[in-house]
Amino acid sequence: MTSKKRSSPSLSGKSSAAEYLSALSHKDALARNVVGVNGSRVSSPSTTPALSIASSSMYTSSSDDTEIAELVDDGLSFPSVPPTSEIVYTTRHSEFGHCSNEAYRYTPHHDPSRPVSGHVEEDPPYYILFTTYISYLLLIIIGHIRDFFGKKFYPKDYRHLMPFNGYAALNSDFDSFYTRRLKTRLDDCFSRPVTGVPGRTITLLDRVSEDELNTFKFTGTKTRALNVSSYNYLGFAQARGACADAVEESLNRYGISACGSRSQGGTLDLHVAAEALVARFVGQEDALITSMGFATNSATIPALVGKGCLVISDEYNHASIRFGVRLSGASVRMFKHNDMKDLESLLREAISQGQPRTHRPWKKILLIVEGLYSMEGTLLDLPAIVKLKQKYKFYLYVDEAHSIGALGAHGRGVADYFNIPPHSIDILMGTFTKSFGAAGGYIAGSHALVSRLRLRSHANAYAESMAPAILTQIIASLSCITGVESSAPSSALTSSHTVTASTDDSRDYRGPVPASCLPSWIELSPSLRSGEEGRVRLRRLAFNARYLSRALIKLGFITYGHADAPIVPLLLFHPGKMSQFSRLMLERKTPIVVVVVGYPATPLVTSRVRFCLSASHTKEDVDLVLDACDEIGDLIDLKHGSGERWPLEEIKRRAVELVEME
Amino acid sequence: MSAPSSLDPLLTFLSYSLLKVQDIFFQLPGSAVIARYVRSSHQNDPGRTALELILVVFAVRTLLQSRTRTDRSASNFVKLTEKEIDELVEEWVPEPFTAPLTPAEVHELANLPVIQGASGPKPKLVNTGKTVLNLASYNFAGLAGNEQIKERAIETLRKYGLGSCGPPGFYGTIDVHMDLERDIAEFLGTESCIIYSQGFSTVASVIPAFCKRGDLIVADRGVNFAIHKGIDISRSNVRWFDHNDLKSLETVLESIEKERKKKGGKLTRRFIVTEGIFENDGQMLDLPKLIELKQKYKYRLILDESFSFGTVGRTGRGLTELYNVPATQIDMIVGSIANSLCSAGGFCAGSRVVVDHQRINGSSFVFSAAMPALMAVSASEGISLLTSQPSLLTTLHENIRAFRLILDATATVCPIQIPSHPASAIVHIQYRPNAPATLQVPTATSHKLSLSPSKQSNPSSLAPRDAQEFDIELEDKLLQDVVDEALSQGVLITRAKRLRGQEPAEPRPSIRIAITAALTKKEIEKAGSVVRSALVKVLGKRR
Repeated sequence: MTSKKRSSPSLSGKSSAAEYLSALSHKDALARNVVGVNGSRVSSPSTTPALSIASSSMYTSSSDDTEIAELVDDGLSFPSVPPTSEIVYTTRHSEFGHCSNEAYRYTPHHDPSRPVSGHVEEDPPYYILFTTYISYLLLIIIGHIRDFFGKKFYPKDYRHLMPFNGYAALNSDFDSFYTRRLKTRLDDCFSRPVTGVPGRTITLLDRVSEDELNTFKFTGTKTRALNVSSYNYLGFAQARGACADAVEESLNRYGISACGSRSQGGTLDLHVAAEALVARFVGQEDALITSMGFATNSATIPALVGKGCLVISDEYNHASIRFGVRLSGASVRMFKHNDMKDLESLLREAISQGQPRTHRPWKKILLIVEGLYSMEGTLLDLPAIVKLKQKYKFYLYVDEAHSIGALGAHGRGVADYFNIPPHSIDILMGTFTKSFGAAGGYIAGSHALVSRLRLRSHANAYAESMAPAILTQIIASLSCITGVESSAPSSALTSSHTVTASTDDSRDYRGPVPASCLPSWIELSPSLRSGEEGRVRLRRLAFNARYLSRALIKLGFITYGHADAPIVPLLLFHPGKMSQFSRLMLERKTPIVVVVVGYPATPLVTSRVRFCLSASHTKEDVDLVLDACDEIGDLIDLKHGSGERWPLEEIKRRAVELVEME
Repeated sequence: MSAPSSLDPLLTFLSYSLLKVQDIFFQLPGSAVIARYVRSSHQNDPGRTALELILVVFAVRTLLQSRTRTDRSASNFVKLTEKEIDELVEEWVPEPFTAPLTPAEVHELANLPVIQGASGPKPKLVNTGKTVLNLASYNFAGLAGNEQIKERAIETLRKYGLGSCGPPGFYGTIDVHMDLERDIAEFLGTESCIIYSQGFSTVASVIPAFCKRGDLIVADRGVNFAIHKGIDISRSNVRWFDHNDLKSLETVLESIEKERKKKGGKLTRRFIVTEGIFENDGQMLDLPKLIELKQKYKYRLILDESFSFGTVGRTGRGLTELYNVPATQIDMIVGSIANSLCSAGGFCAGSRVVVDHQRINGSSFVFSAAMPALMAVSASEGISLLTSQPSLLTTLHENIRAFRLILDATATVCPIQIPSHPASAIVHIQYRPNAPATLQVPTATSHKLSLSPSKQSNPSSLAPRDAQEFDIELEDKLLQDVVDEALSQGVLITRAKRLRGQEPAEPRPSIRIAITAALTKKEIEKAGSVVRSALVKVLGKRR
C-alpha cells in the first residue's frame, strides 16, 4: 500500500529528529513567554483575537507544518501553560483546543443518595411572558395583513399557496404561515452554510440578503467563529489525528461505499467488527448498526411493536421516535417530560384499563425515553425508571443519541453515569453523529433481540449499509475512548482514573478493547492506545459543561437542564431576541456561532439559545462565551434568574471551585 | 338552648371573617367595578349569574385538566380502587419482547455473505474465503473503488474531517452539500435539488412533506417498501392502480374525477406516486404516457428513480433521459445517491418551491445530521464521471443485454419467470411452477398486452386484480438453494430479502441480480452461465 505516506502520526512525519526538537523547544519557549507576561491564567478579552480572519487565511493556505505555524500566527494566549503532550502535534488548535491545565478537568459522577433533578422550569417575571405573547400576537396580525395584501397585489409570489390551473395549492397558506411570517424573519440565523471542520471553531461562508431574508447571496468571504453549536462532544470532528489517518487508510483499502443493504450483499467485515465493539462499549450482548441516526429509530421501532402494543413516550421525544411509533401502528400515550409521578400513574392506568374499548390486556408496553434531551438538556431519571420497570414489567428503550460518549465517567451514556447495569435496559439506541464525529446509529440489546432486528428492521433489508469510512471513524474513535488492551498493561494510568463507584460494575464495562477486535491496519499512537486521551477528552468535556451551566446561572440567566449535560439551553423567551442574540454573537470581535431554537421545536414562550460544549473547547473558550453572554444579556434584558449572582471576573477566577461545587 | 349558644362563637367568627374578606376584596383596585357589575347583573337576571358561574367553573376545570390525560374522561373508563390496580399490575404478564428465532432464521443469519475488505466486482468472502463474481451488490456503473473518487474523498477528509456533527439547519450545511445539490439539479435539468443523508429514508420523508390528511395519493400496487411507509405516515387517502398498468391508472383517475364532479367539494392536492424501475421486480415505467395522464387529470407526480437514476439513459440521468422527457415535467424526482453513484444518501429534485418546502418539512432532512462531506464530494465526482465517460453506462447496458440473453434462454427450460424490463440493471428471477410452456416474458409494454381486463380491481384495496398464488416458504427455500449453488460455483447473488409479515403487499419471492459495468462481458457471461446451471440444477427437475 502506498498509503503509508500520511497514516503515521505527524510526529514521526517530521523529516528529522532535530527539526522536531527545535519545533518543540520553540513552542515551549513561546508558551512560557505567554505565561510570563500574563502571570496568572486570567486572560483579558482584549488579548484573545484567536479567531481572527488572519488565522482563517492561514488555515486555507495550509501545508503540512502549519500546526506549529498556526500556533505562532494565532497570537495564542490560550494554551497559557506550555503544552506538554504530543497531542499538540497531532491536533490543530482550530479543531481541538490545547489545554494542558490539569485543573480544568472534571470527572462526572452521580451521588445515588440524591434524587435526580427533574425538569425544573424557572418562570421569568410576568412582564416577560406578557410581552412574549404580545410579540407573537403582533407577528400573527402583521403576517395576516401582509398575506391579505400580498395575495391581492403580488399574486405571482403566492402562486404556490393558491389553487392554480386546476392544481390545489402545493402547501396551504395556513400550514406554512409560521414559516413564512415568523421564521423567515430570522432565516439568517438558520442553515448558515459552513466549510471545513466543525470542531472547536467553524468557518462560515458569509452571505447577505437583499430581499428581506428571502434569498441570500454569498459575498465570497469567510468568517472563522468559535463553535458552540455542533454536536462534537468529544471533539472527534478532526481532519487530523489518529482517527482521520485511520479513515484515510480505510478509504484506500475499502473505497467509498459498501454497495447495497446489509442483508443483500452490503455487509463488510468492518460492519461485523464495529458492531462487536459497540456492543462491548455499551455493555450489551449484540448491536446492529444503521447508516442514519433518524432511520435507526424510525426503521427499528416498527419492528419491535405493533397493533395491541402500547408505546409510552416522553412528551419531548425526538421526531424520529414519533415517526417510528406512528409507522408501527401501536397505541401511544405520552407523559409529562421526565415526570416520574405522571409516568407511574399513566402506567397504572394503562395496565389496569388495558386496550381501549375491549379492555384486553396490552400485549407489551414499551417505554421510549431519551438519555439526554437535546432541547432541554435534562437527564433521564434512570434510577427511578429502572425501579418502575421492575414493578410494571414494561420494556425499556433508551435513545442515547446525545448521551452516548458524552456522559458518564467512561463516556458510556446514562447507564454509566447513574451506575446502573446496562443490561437492565432492554434496548440501547444511540448515534455516532455526535460524540464519535461519524454518522449513523446503533441499536444494542440482547443477542436474541438484535438477531430478530437483523431480520425485521426496515433499514437492514432496504437501506444502504454504512460506508466503510464511517465505520472506521467509529472504530477508531471508540477505541480512543476506551483504550486498547495491550500485552503489557500499564498500571500507572489508573491513578488518573478517580471514580470509585465504577469498579463495582466493571463486568458491564469491560474496559479497554482487545487489540484483536480492531482491524490490524488501524494504527493508534500510545496515548490513544492507553485510553489516556479518551479520559482527558471526557474530563475536559465534563469540566466545560459544568462550568458553562453553573456560570450562566451565577450571571443571572435562566437555564434548563442538568449540570453535567453538555447541552446548556439559555432561555430567551421573546421570539425577537432569538435573531438579536444570534446576530450579536456573530458580530463580536471573536465571533461565536450559536443555535437559537423557538416554536415549534420548543413551547411557544420558551425560545432559547442552545450551547453544545465540546472537549475541544478550552476554559478560555468558555470564558469568551461568558463574556459575550454577559454583555448581550445586559443589552437585551435576559438576566431574570433568581438566586445568588457573582460578578463575571469572580466567576472566571473561581471557575474550578464553581465546577466542583455540589 | 345549649345548642344555639354553642354555635354563637362560630357564627360570630363566620360573620367576622366574611366582613374581613369583604374588606380585602374592596381594597383591591378595580374591585368596586366588579362588585357593581355582579350586583346589577344579578338584579336584572339571576339566571345570567348562574350561567356565568358555570362558565367560570368550566374554564377552571378545563385549565386544570392534564394535557396528556384524555382517556380518563371517556365513558369506557372503568373506575378501580388502588388495590385492584395493584392486583392487575401484579397479574399482568407481557408477551416476550421478541419471538425467538426459528432454526431456519438462525441459519439464514449465519449464512449471510460477509465481504472481506472492499466490496466490488470481485470481492473475497469471509464465509468461504474465496473470491467471487459479485452480482449482489449495487455497483451498476462500476464506480465502487474508483481511484479518482477515492482521491477526492481523501482530499475532502483532510479538509473537512468526517462527520458533519449537526443537522443542516444548525451548521450542518457544508459548501460541498450545496455543490452536490447544484450538480444533481444541473445533471437532471431541474431548478433545484435537496439531499438527504440516507436513500431509503428519502422517499418516506418526501411523501409526507407534501401529502397531508385529506389529500389524495394514487399509487402503483407494486411500489417499494419505503414508498409504502411514506404513504402510511402521510395519512392521505390512497387509491391503488394495477402494477405498471397505465390503463388501470387511467380508469382509477377517471373514476376519481367522476366522483369529484358528482360530490363537488374542495380541490385537494393530488399526487401520483410510482417508481421508474421497480425495486421489487425490475419493471419499467412508461414515462411519456404517465406524464400525459398526469397532465390531463392535473396530478403532481412523485417519481422514485432510485434504481433508474445512474443506470438508464445514455449518461445515466434516468428515465427522463431515456424517454427524452424534460425533467421539469416531473414535480418531484426522488433518487438514491447510494445505489448507482456508490456513495450514500438520497435526493429529491424539482422546482425551487418544492425543494425549499422540504428544507423545513422533510422530517428526515430536518431532524437528521447532514451527510459526511466526503460522501457528498464522492457523489459529485461520480456524476462528473458519468457525464464525462458515457462508456461506463454503455458497458453496463451491454452487460445487461449479455446477461439477459443467457437468462431468457434459461426461462424456456426452467420453471422461472423474469418480470424485469430488458434494460433494467436489477434482474429479478421468480419461480413459476405452473408457467405455460411458451412463457410470455413481460416487458415495458406489458400493460398494453393485458387488454380488456375481465374485472376491475378495487382501487381502495391493495389486493391486485388477479392475485398470484404462491407458497412463500417453498419458493424462498428453492431460490435460496439456487443462490447457494451459484455461490459454490463462485458467483455471489442474493435472494430479494423481504420483511415477511411487515410488507404491505407481499411481493413474490425472487432472486435479485444486480448487473455491474465493472465486470467484463466475458465475466458477465460466465456468471450468467453459472446462474443458469444453478437454476437448471435446482429447478430443472421440478418442471
